Amino acid sequence: MIRLEGVTVVAGEFTLSDVSLEVPAGGYALLIGPTGSGKTTLLETVAGHQRPSKGRVWLHGEEITTRAPERRGVGFVYQDHLLFPHLSVGENIAYGLQDAGRGARVTELAEALGIGPLLGRGVARLSGGERQRVALARALAPRPRVLLLDEPFAALDPSTRAALRRSLLTLQRTERVTILQVSHDFDEALRLGDLVAVLADGKVLQQGSPEEVFRRPNSAFVAQFTGAGNVLAGEVSQVGPTESDGRYLGRFTAGSFALDVVADRTGPCHAVIRPEDLLVSRDPLPAARNHLRATIERVERLGPVTYIYCDAGRPLVATVTSMGAESMALAPGMTVSVTIKATAVLLV
Amino acid sequence: MPTRPTLVRLALAATSALLMLFIVGPLVRLVLEAGPMSLATAFADGEVRASIVLTLVCATAATIFGALLGLPLAWALARRDFPGRRLVQGLVDLPVVVPHPVAGIALLLFLGRRSAIGGALADLGLEVVNHAPGIVAAMAFVSIPILVSGAREAFASVDPRLERVARSLGDTPAAAFRRVTLPLAGRGIIAAALLAWARAVSEFGAVVVLTYNPKAASVLIFDRFTTDGLTGALPAALALLLVALAVFLVVRLLQPRQIR
Repeated sequence: MIRLEGVTVVAGEFTLSDVSLEVPAGGYALLIGPTGSGKTTLLETVAGHQRPSKGRVWLHGEEITTRAPERRGVGFVYQDHLLFPHLSVGENIAYGLQDAGRGARVTELAEALGIGPLLGRGVARLSGGERQRVALARALAPRPRVLLLDEPFAALDPSTRAALRRSLLTLQRTERVTILQVSHDFDEALRLGDLVAVLADGKVLQQGSPEEVFRRPNSAFVAQFTGAGNVLAGEVSQVGPTESDGRYLGRFTAGSFALDVVADRTGPCHAVIRPEDLLVSRDPLPAARNHLRATIERVERLGPVTYIYCDAGRPLVATVTSMGAESMALAPGMTVSVTIKATAVLLV
Repeated sequence: MPTRPTLVRLALAATSALLMLFIVGPLVRLVLEAGPMSLATAFADGEVRASIVLTLVCATAATIFGALLGLPLAWALARRDFPGRRLVQGLVDLPVVVPHPVAGIALLLFLGRRSAIGGALADLGLEVVNHAPGIVAAMAFVSIPILVSGAREAFASVDPRLERVARSLGDTPAAAFRRVTLPLAGRGIIAAALLAWARAVSEFGAVVVLTYNPKAASVLIFDRFTTDGLTGALPAALALLLVALAVFLVVRLLQPRQIR
């Protein structure tokens, strides 16, 4: 288990402020956020390479805030591998191992990661994927309780990335290691993580299960970063009676653009609508609160899904199945109906 | 008519050839002028032999002295951010801009018998001025900047995150330094030490002020030149040139390819 309690780290001009985070033992957590948001600083704090000026760090129930990196039992893999260039593949993997049982452990990990034939080679001529496998084997060799990964897949091509993700998930189970991974890609969190924390400007904006953060972002920034698609700034007013759960029918307006919403607040806020919650049709659909007329500006087909960019007084993006887009013959310039359920609009 | 890239290539080749001629020409001329027989004359001359041995020993001592004091500083300059870092860096480079006779005079004042340090050293039995330690001091003064800046660059070229990886794999800071930093910076450090050694061997201006006798090779050659003229200086000059070149080549050949 990794636990950070109110951790503040000052690293040069950058400050990570008051970060609290908990990853359960054996869990897989992702830290996501834009470049410069403090993700790597957070990982280095867990590894002991950065010392917090405030707060405490716990690993598996032990407080380790001031413990030296070599006594933490934490493996670290950087995006650019950082293999020791003066050592062979096998020597790199064995670096953190004591003599007894060394060879067997190196072979075991090399087999698991499919780099067995490379053990005697130098590291200079390895491909990016091979290097990352060696870095992973090296970090796992001393059986760390926690594995920290700093954008480990970022520089890899998609097929190598997918293969490495599979190897990593298998190893996480067999090695029983808790993983904290940095990524700037929310898709990675959806694929891998049990937990995701969104960072910006040195602060954790939201943490929870990837599905929860995806479905219920708590701010316009998180919504945008997790690919919510439509994030509109405006104002909400109450138009219906307050129900027993405290919510009511509200009206969200942004200039002349207006939507009926299920609201729990009034005043300035953002409306978040995921592209898949916008239903595009040639004619208005019955039994929904919001029908908008929109003009299609751009159609982007990405395999089975097609993105429809349209103007409904405000720019909106919707997704339809590519089959649906074809059968409706959706094309730029066409006027369509966009239907949005009041319950599909999230106010943040 | 030649194309533009061809002209650029020709210009590059011409300027480079001129430069090579400027460096190699005088040395070749010296070798040819002296002739093979003069080498035998030089090595038969006990004074020449002694001065060359003295020069090599003193240059090696100056390099070791510089390495002992300079390598920790080079590491700190590359890795640590401390108040006055830029000032220290500037001070280390200072000997480069001091004319060498001026350096010799300054060292004479600093290490002479009448100075506090020189007096204390003499009391301990270590005479500096007009003794071999004076040659070592003069050589060290002019060669240390080369050693420290080269070693600093070598340390700085090792990604500090490699040391962090080593720490996370169980190394103490000292072990990470020994197992990762030193092997990776080692080639650059050896190259810097070699350049510093070569600089020490070739030093004349500071050495001649501090220790005229016993004579380092450069002082002996100058001495022969002023008393016996060109023909008197040539054999010793050729001997020093060949010995210095031989040592330099042997050490370079022992180096891994990257730094050659």
